[in-house]
Amino acid sequence: MRIKLLPVLMASLTSMSVAADVLSNPQIGVVLDGRFEEGDGFSLGHTELSMSANIDDKFHGVLTSVIETHDDDTEFLLEEAFIETIALPNGFNVRAGRFLSNFGYMNNQHMHTDNFTTRPGIYRDYLGTHYYDDGLRASIVLPTDLYIRLSAEAFSGDKMSALEHAEDQNSVGVYTAAMKMGGDISESSSWQFGLSYLHNKNGTADHFEESDHSHDGHDHSHDARKTGKHLYGTDFVWKWAPDGNYKYRNLTLAAEYMLLDGVVDNKFKDEDHAPDKLSGYYLSGVYRFSPSWSAGIRYGEVETYDGHAHGDHVHFTDQKEKEATAMVAWNSSHFGTIRAQFSRTEDQDKEKDNVFMLQYVMSFGAHGAHAF
Amino acid sequence: MLSNILRPSKGLKAVLAASAAIFCTPAAALNIFVCQPEWQALISAHAPDANIFSATTARQDPHYVQARPSLIAKMRQADLAMCSGAELEIGWLPMLQSRSGNLSVQNDAETMIFASDHVAMLDTHQHVDRSMGDIHAHGNPHVQFAINDIPELSKVVTQRLQALDPGNAHQYQARGIRFRANWRQHVNEWRELSKPLKGKKVVGQHATYRYLFKWLDIEQVADLEPKPGLSPTTAHLQSLTRLDKASYDAIVFSSHQDHQPAEWLHRQTGKPVIKLPLTVSGNEQLTDLVDQTLAGLLEVLVVNSDQKSIEQ
Repeated sequence: MRIKLLPVLMASLTSMSVAADVLSNPQIGVVLDGRFEEGDGFSLGHTELSMSANIDDKFHGVLTSVIETHDDDTEFLLEEAFIETIALPNGFNVRAGRFLSNFGYMNNQHMHTDNFTTRPGIYRDYLGTHYYDDGLRASIVLPTDLYIRLSAEAFSGDKMSALEHAEDQNSVGVYTAAMKMGGDISESSSWQFGLSYLHNKNGTADHFEESDHSHDGHDHSHDARKTGKHLYGTDFVWKWAPDGNYKYRNLTLAAEYMLLDGVVDNKFKDEDHAPDKLSGYYLSGVYRFSPSWSAGIRYGEVETYDGHAHGDHVHFTDQKEKEATAMVAWNSSHFGTIRAQFSRTEDQDKEKDNVFMLQYVMSFGAHGAHAF
Repeated sequence: MLSNILRPSKGLKAVLAASAAIFCTPAAALNIFVCQPEWQALISAHAPDANIFSATTARQDPHYVQARPSLIAKMRQADLAMCSGAELEIGWLPMLQSRSGNLSVQNDAETMIFASDHVAMLDTHQHVDRSMGDIHAHGNPHVQFAINDIPELSKVVTQRLQALDPGNAHQYQARGIRFRANWRQHVNEWRELSKPLKGKKVVGQHATYRYLFKWLDIEQVADLEPKPGLSPTTAHLQSLTRLDKASYDAIVFSSHQDHQPAEWLHRQTGKPVIKLPLTVSGNEQLTDLVDQTLAGLLEVLVVNSDQKSIEQ
């Protein structure tokens, strides 16, 4: 859907917000994200427009659209369009439609809540920065003092498909299962641990193109670049604030590890460097040292590969990226952030790349509560 | 309870009993979730046997709370919840409610009590713009100091507890009556005690004591925060040094806040600083909170200034 839709959307929004106070009070919020990147110049990032409201006493509805521009193209993407139950007993919740998968720690959080301008390599390479899809989720929170949440999802999986022919695809291609647990260590600190699994029926690559154009340049399809039959993930987050008062000072440490298995079809098994398992991780620490200022560092590594056909052979190359990132952010209020980020990447051939970025992320209108 | 289920030596009966305890409302003790300790004090006066869990302590700013896993776990098990409301907890409570999957704590439930729904709210706004800072259209949410409305809150708590636990309705009734009688008695004492505070003027930090100051007839002439919710800035503090020193008597801040801005202004102007509690700590009652706050104000605004005038 291209730019033509925008005026229609804007018009419908305006008329809605007038009726909003009288009708059912939909929460309408906008996130503005602008960037300056060394070499690339000015651009807009993840501009979000979201609406949500209770549909009745049993269902809640959410619509989040993302407007992205790439050169002269303006893309209008639906990132979330789901309904979810609010009246199921015993900690059960069911969600249907398009939504962000519960896989991993960061994936189900909106990008504007991120502490860094870019997501870590494992998210960019294994999940297309953030994996959202059309499907169904069921989750339950157990009635224990130790927080335990179990969830299972089924998705169409189209954007995670690595199959040559669309007709070979399973119509329900992706299944996930996730467990989160967490608690407080003291008044000052809390933790959360997660295990995730993503089963991708269409994830094993069964073909490679002659030359490899598709993986070059700017990737704005949001499709995961590298898929496999199985993706395993584990994550840990620890947050600390003196006396548990997060206003003045706080520290967040986060780490995630992902393992991708069943990357290419068995028929490529005898080829040199045919990938079998790929893995990656990141570690990050963000310290807020005043209500207005925070600083953070992150280090991550991710294994990928490159494959393209040479006659009846496929030529594979192992790839690996190491990335070190540092950022400083200033908060004008709870709703405005200006961030400077420097990142240095090194690939398998020890080639280095330095990127400096400036970003603002600001929001107006309704602003949802943030997850831990 | 979970460990009981997992222990194989327990018979099937024990397993059933344990899972019944998990999945049904336990008749023995109510699980109650409160967002701030003041509501723990209020409810425990009505239901001393209940397990009451407070999401925040007296040292935490209730605007800035993480929707952490332990809070979702407690919210999941709550039979009743009470919060200040008026958007004070908007940054975290909605996440706890939706993640908990607990019908008892959803906004429209009888067992979800928002104190500000039952208080004569001050500073409500027809129009709210974020350039005005962190203000709430529904009014000032720091209603723990709404002295005149506490008896009404006692009635609401009594009635919701009775509906939830009809077996003990008489006890809730009796404790509610006792609480309100005790409160009225204290109100009379406070009225007498606080007479010298009438007409005093202070510079505050955030509108935390809006309800108390109205009741005491104290005026907050300026705020250390440039806009509600925004931390004090050097430029704004500089502008406060230019205030007429005769126009206020003291600088007031809360125990959970950064003490530096108030002390900086004190060094510049020589005006005394008063540190007041935000809420109850430990096992204190709501009356203790008002007692301490009045004592803090009286000590500086009346006793010390009397001494000064004697010295002069």
